[in-house]
Amino acid sequence: MTPSRRHFLLGAAALSAAVATPEMVRAAIAQDVAADWSLAAADLETDIAPRAMRLIHGRAPVGLQGTLFRNGPGKFRRPGGSVTHWFDGDGLMRSFDIRDGHATLSARFADTPKRRHEAALDAVVTPGFGTPGDARARVGSNDDANAANTAVMVAGDKIWALWEGGSPLEMDAGTLATERFVTLRADLRGMPFQAHPRRAPDGTIWNVGSHGDRVVVWHLDAAGGLIDARVLDLPRASYFHDFAATDRHLIFVLQPWVFERTGMPFSSQFAWKPEMGTQVVMVDKADLGRMRVFDLPAFSFFHLGDGWAEADGTIRFDLAAGKDVTFAVDGAKVIVQGRGPMPGEPSHLALITLRPDGRAEMTATDVTAEFPKGDPRRAGLKRDLTVHVAGEGGGRPLPTGLAVRDWSTGRSHGFDFGETHVVEEMVFVPKSGATAERDAWLVGPSINLKTGVTELHAFDVAGIEDGPIATWAADVALPAGFHGVWKG
Amino acid sequence: MTRFVHIAAAALMISTAAHAEPDVTQTSLALTFDVGADTGRIMVALFDSAEAYAGRGAPVAQSMVDVAAGQRGAAFSDLKPGTYAAKIFHDVDGDGQMDTNPFGMPTEPYAFTNNARGNMGPAGWDRANVTVTGAVVQTISLK
Repeated sequence: MTPSRRHFLLGAAALSAAVATPEMVRAAIAQDVAADWSLAAADLETDIAPRAMRLIHGRAPVGLQGTLFRNGPGKFRRPGGSVTHWFDGDGLMRSFDIRDGHATLSARFADTPKRRHEAALDAVVTPGFGTPGDARARVGSNDDANAANTAVMVAGDKIWALWEGGSPLEMDAGTLATERFVTLRADLRGMPFQAHPRRAPDGTIWNVGSHGDRVVVWHLDAAGGLIDARVLDLPRASYFHDFAATDRHLIFVLQPWVFERTGMPFSSQFAWKPEMGTQVVMVDKADLGRMRVFDLPAFSFFHLGDGWAEADGTIRFDLAAGKDVTFAVDGAKVIVQGRGPMPGEPSHLALITLRPDGRAEMTATDVTAEFPKGDPRRAGLKRDLTVHVAGEGGGRPLPTGLAVRDWSTGRSHGFDFGETHVVEEMVFVPKSGATAERDAWLVGPSINLKTGVTELHAFDVAGIEDGPIATWAADVALPAGFHGVWKG
Repeated sequence: MTRFVHIAAAALMISTAAHAEPDVTQTSLALTFDVGADTGRIMVALFDSAEAYAGRGAPVAQSMVDVAAGQRGAAFSDLKPGTYAAKIFHDVDGDGQMDTNPFGMPTEPYAFTNNARGNMGPAGWDRANVTVTGAVVQTISLK
């Protein structure tokens, strides 16, 4: 049997409900009151019509004009059954629009077959990454289970809500109204399109869709039109959420979380086998059949940065590296529960080097990190800076701050909001007319747990440690999102 | 080929010999198709038992709808009163096959009576069966 994403559709969906152990019951009694941070996975019941945000700190940066689109789960619980894993809530597209110093927030749920079916039943029944689903599920294709909840891509004048096991879901960039699942070519209908497409220096977009030990490589133009799609065989059937790319290469990191059995939820199909180590596969964009495999000791990951090649052929890319898959399996459930201790350890910022002679090494830092981001003007090209969220690992889950790492000096600078904020991914927005890496803003939200509302922050990359240069507050808290993109 | 696709494709690979006239009588099932493409043809196989529907018996009737020629419906008349379920697929490119993508998933629309969806596979008899005692009409989405 070929281990693959197709088992997403083949597994026995009706699994029994989780059995409560005495330990779980005791823990629940001990922490009966939901923690402050549970706002991060609270349910949003309705769409948010466009509403002004209030400038509560600093001054709006002159020249910062555009829209931050962000996606992430926004609804988890229904009376007849609920999502049990953070990755499986209904996709909620948010728009933070900044014009002439004013910020406007709107948010709209992706109108998916999954959400329609579950709204009609008033029960979450569809299997997902970590949610088993039940016999009431209605899944005739990948896209019937598509939560459209992970990331967002700009495609011409549209935006695409991305999941990782199905098609992009096209939305109107102005109204956030759902329009259609995107079929890039009739014979490729329903092929997976993952949540982390990468823009190349030539303006084209590369993405992948994973299917066991096979992967479809998508190559699109800037408007989202298909240039080419090819299927490649990889050395192992590993779960991966992201890939990296240089100007000339695609890089697949194959952690030792490998397919072992069919069944649902999807994550239950994989077994953590650290003895296998982690493989890094480098593929030539110009000749996808040309593949080189590097070996590293075992680590886990969700997110990689863009890569670059140096003059001698050395390739480097940054990432948030974990020790194992405890977060993916168990930690993300705690976030939906909104209470209880967080198992496992947070991931750390690291840099991987692939040498021309076939050796590979990973340089780990002691900085906790997720959502590594680089200067989009340098995507696939040499750069010094990585920005990322930070501060996780204290008394509660989820980041409390952000930081920038300069790989040329080995120094990190950061800003921490403290335990009263859940800090979300920040995107890198270059200042117009400027070229240096530090000539950029970081824009992204946090949930202020003290005031119970979502805030939007702008930082100057050159002075992150000074805190936000502008902060706008909404009059509502949105649950924490996953990934965003800036449209200037 | 995956089990899912195998079942879906095999179940829907039905003969194109029969062509029902849209003549609705006392005990009948009329299906109207809401299509996403105006090309090719729609194949319909009608079963009168869970056993046959599951692949352990022949369809009680079949129909081919010439979409390219403007047809959008199939009618099965003079049925014995009872329960029935149909498997339907739109052969958009008219090549006689249910096409699949490189990962084995169907790329041409398929459906079942009641617009039933399966649970990680084709809809079962329990979801697709229709009680036909008079003239029953359904609109089936093939988009």
